[in-house]
Amino acid sequence: MDDIYLIISSLIFLVGFVLAVVSLRAGRQGSVRLNIGLAVTGLIFQSLFLKERGALHGRCPITNGAEVLVFISWSVVILYLALGRAFRLSLLGVFSMPLVFMFQCIAIVSLLSSDPGARPPATLDPWLELHAAMSLLAYGAFGLAGIAGVMYLVQDRQLKSHEPGSLFYSLPPIRYLTDAMLRLLVIGTVMLTIGIVAAFFMETFPDALHLTVSGAVWIVYVALLIIHLVSHLAPKQLSISAMVAFGFALLTLSAL
Amino acid sequence: MNHKTAPVEVRERLAFAEHSIPTHLKEIRGLTQIEEAVVLSTCNRVEIYGAANEPSVALEGLIDYLVNHFEVTPGEVEFYRKEAEEAAHHLFEVASGLDSMVLGETEIFGQIKKAYATAQSSGATSRRMNKLFQQSFSIGKLVRSSTRIQQGSTSVGSAAVDLAEKIFGQLDGCRVMIIGAGEMSRITAQSLRSRGASSIIVSNRSFDKAEELALELDGKAVKFDDWGGHLNEVDIVISSTGAPHAVVHKSAVEKALDDRRGHPLFLIDIAVPRDIEDEVNELDNVYLYNIDQLTRIANDGVARRERQIEVCRAVIHQFLEEKGIEALAEIPSQRLNRGPFSPNDSSSSEPLPNS
Repeated sequence: MDDIYLIISSLIFLVGFVLAVVSLRAGRQGSVRLNIGLAVTGLIFQSLFLKERGALHGRCPITNGAEVLVFISWSVVILYLALGRAFRLSLLGVFSMPLVFMFQCIAIVSLLSSDPGARPPATLDPWLELHAAMSLLAYGAFGLAGIAGVMYLVQDRQLKSHEPGSLFYSLPPIRYLTDAMLRLLVIGTVMLTIGIVAAFFMETFPDALHLTVSGAVWIVYVALLIIHLVSHLAPKQLSISAMVAFGFALLTLSAL
Repeated sequence: MNHKTAPVEVRERLAFAEHSIPTHLKEIRGLTQIEEAVVLSTCNRVEIYGAANEPSVALEGLIDYLVNHFEVTPGEVEFYRKEAEEAAHHLFEVASGLDSMVLGETEIFGQIKKAYATAQSSGATSRRMNKLFQQSFSIGKLVRSSTRIQQGSTSVGSAAVDLAEKIFGQLDGCRVMIIGAGEMSRITAQSLRSRGASSIIVSNRSFDKAEELALELDGKAVKFDDWGGHLNEVDIVISSTGAPHAVVHKSAVEKALDDRRGHPLFLIDIAVPRDIEDEVNELDNVYLYNIDQLTRIANDGVARRERQIEVCRAVIHQFLEEKGIEALAEIPSQRLNRGPFSPNDSSSSEPLPNS
């Protein structure tokens, strides 16, 4: 049943993305309510999947790569729903949906081909749960920052080219994108910091590789924020950095 | 009549003075057959909407009234006459901005609201006009929210403002510098100011002229030799000097960027020959537009809006297919055997709101 929830959720995100693209191309203003409605419905099915997997394992469902990808996707959607409007970025959802769809497709293929099954913990360690959940929520925020970076580069290119296309009118102002990107980087770094601090209280201390990789991601983002604070990176540089940093963070997942 | 059917000389003669509209409404309702009326009088149109049991008789009486009242000779003015669905449809298109000189503009929506409020407070509306106008407001909002009829700039000034909003978002607090106190600079600065831009700095070779414009825009005048020192303080620069060579160089902008802490800079060059070096646009976080580029965006905007007309009409059509024209459905005894709304169906002989 959990696979079905995941497939339904993925299809909803695909439909949301296709509808948004079709309405943008047809010259109609995409419905923000419809986008949010689809995102909420997709989130419900994602949550059902995670609930089923959580019940199977008896702990936070991040025991394999597929679950981790779904958890990050869930984080992206929930952060978009929580912050998208506050950051005046309703179109962030449209740009997030392909990423979420892609992650979940990989998860579906992985689970359908070889589902490792239940992996109950010997003892439930709340610090481990906090470490894992906060770290993956941080990845969600970093993912959204990277998406905001993509949106910035698209809008910057349109402004520089002097020939704004139809996307130009739908995309938010570049200042809002820059602000949102920075806030998401800060939010993600704070969450990751909490996750890493939680790791020090775990009953079983993480192995050296896990600690090194988590530390490397944390150092990359902290360094990015410090460099921006000190030397005021141009928004274009910040966008590219946010995208590259998220790519790096994703690569480290395989080591975790 | 409107801007398409009558020149401004005729429109200004037939315009209803705002304070006299309640009196006119009373007189119009005193005419044969007209039970309800709304007068919509703007600089681009004079339209009278009414509800009557004998539309054709009422229309003749109304035109006689206009001819007599405004002392126009018969045939001098081409009045359009619309009945039934056609009249309602016309109002829906007007409310949606499809009949406006600037397609999709929003001012007309407020003007219709005001005209309706005036008629309502004068006791000139009843169920049919109330239904008709309420529905026109719903349609006007729906069309604007579900299509791109408002998207794209339609003039050089609005193109500059729209671009500024795509860079900075809301322009509240944006600081503007004008180099060269020409007419185009003034108009563009006024457009930016109307959207919230503040702290306008004006620099001109003739300091008196700079002071004059600064006073008009509630800004500050600076000597022409000093404008470079203010480049790091402003968000938008409008340049329109008569200089035969570039006035704003890449090196000056590059220097100013160091102090801007990552804030974008929008440069509008409306001078010919151009005032700002083209290479400035290569700098990160700096956006330079010249007069040709702004004109092209404005032309594209007009074309873009024109392409949206059919999309808007489809939205109106769909809305009416679902809900029908409520003002007409309000008289059940005369709506018997009536099929669903069709925009091409104007054969009805039932009591109708007219214009």
